[in-house]
Amino acid sequence: MLKKFKIVALMTSALFLANAAYAGETAGEWLLSFERMKGVKPVTDRKYAKECGECHFAYQPGLLPAKSWEKLLTPQALKNHFGDNAELDTATLDEVRDYALNNAAETSWYKRARKIAVSTANGPAPLRITETRYIARVHEEIPAKMIKGNKDVKSLSMCNACHTQAAKGVFDSDTVNIPNFPDWD
Amino acid sequence: MKNKSSIKLKSTLAGLCILAASGVAHAQDAALDLSMPAASKASHSFILAANDTPANLPASVTSSTPNAEFEPAFFTADNLHQYAGWATLALVAGAALSAPGEGCEANCPPNPAPRQTNGTHAKIAKAAAAMAAFTVVDGLLTHWDDFHMEDGFSDPDNLHVMLGTVGAAMMMYAVNKSANSTTPVSHAGIAELGGVAMAVAVKLTW
Repeated sequence: MLKKFKIVALMTSALFLANAAYAGETAGEWLLSFERMKGVKPVTDRKYAKECGECHFAYQPGLLPAKSWEKLLTPQALKNHFGDNAELDTATLDEVRDYALNNAAETSWYKRARKIAVSTANGPAPLRITETRYIARVHEEIPAKMIKGNKDVKSLSMCNACHTQAAKGVFDSDTVNIPNFPDWD
Repeated sequence: MKNKSSIKLKSTLAGLCILAASGVAHAQDAALDLSMPAASKASHSFILAANDTPANLPASVTSSTPNAEFEPAFFTADNLHQYAGWATLALVAGAALSAPGEGCEANCPPNPAPRQTNGTHAKIAKAAAAMAAFTVVDGLLTHWDDFHMEDGFSDPDNLHVMLGTVGAAMMMYAVNKSANSTTPVSHAGIAELGGVAMAVAVKLTW
């Protein structure tokens, strides 16, 4: 009996340690938490939410790997942030960047963040969330008329146009409501 | 036998209490209301993160705030798999708790009592194995798009599929092994391993 439990414990530990190898949070915290962690970690930093959310949906840091945030959140990069000047003062930028790096995809135990981390582990840092293999793949079958041709969506970057619980980090298909296409599925 | 079941039940309850307490301790802050800052800037006419470079974005990029009245359906084909997984784990726990602990494999008495193969434990175990098989098939049908080998074995969905399938197979093997034997046969270990594999599979994508 004891031997049997040792084998079970060993296999379980090996599995968790294998996962811990690519996630910074402790395996114990993840294992013992009943919190739903299927999406990405919601934004909990007020400054990050305010500074990013003033102009667009405050994308959760778990939607990109750290190497992407490192490229995006520099004084130079923010001078031309996808065509606009989004410069921040040094202190604010440091805080926003630290929050993004500390909660980037590969540091998270949230499922979709882990999938993004896996899909971006190799190759250059994607600068757009929609460039990541995982995000591109899960949206590839959606007809253009529902996104670019949809006056209430216009772009795949508008996560919260269709993902009704995007702000909570929930991106399940059950929570998707594409404007003007109620029977999209 | 009664004492053994009682100890098992107490251990399970204690474990659940510890897990629940830990879960509360590790609960994270509620998500900030991200819609507020953007909504307050609804009149702005610029966008900073046109992530897929669409043509001619509208002036009010924040007008796309989702319909707050939308309520996800409680029961869909997608979440049927989730409920089936929970049911499987509940049945596994029931089977483990109802295990009679009878029989012997060594030093058996000369005239052991006839083996019970259709008792509560057997019924729950068969239901658990059947539910596990249903869960796997349902998952493959409704979540097939989540499974991509190009992402390797560390992808949580790939691990979920593999562990869930292996766990269900182990449970079915254990039930079959026990049901087709007229003498007491050891099957608890493989069934428990199957249950653990399924529980880990659920946790990985929870």
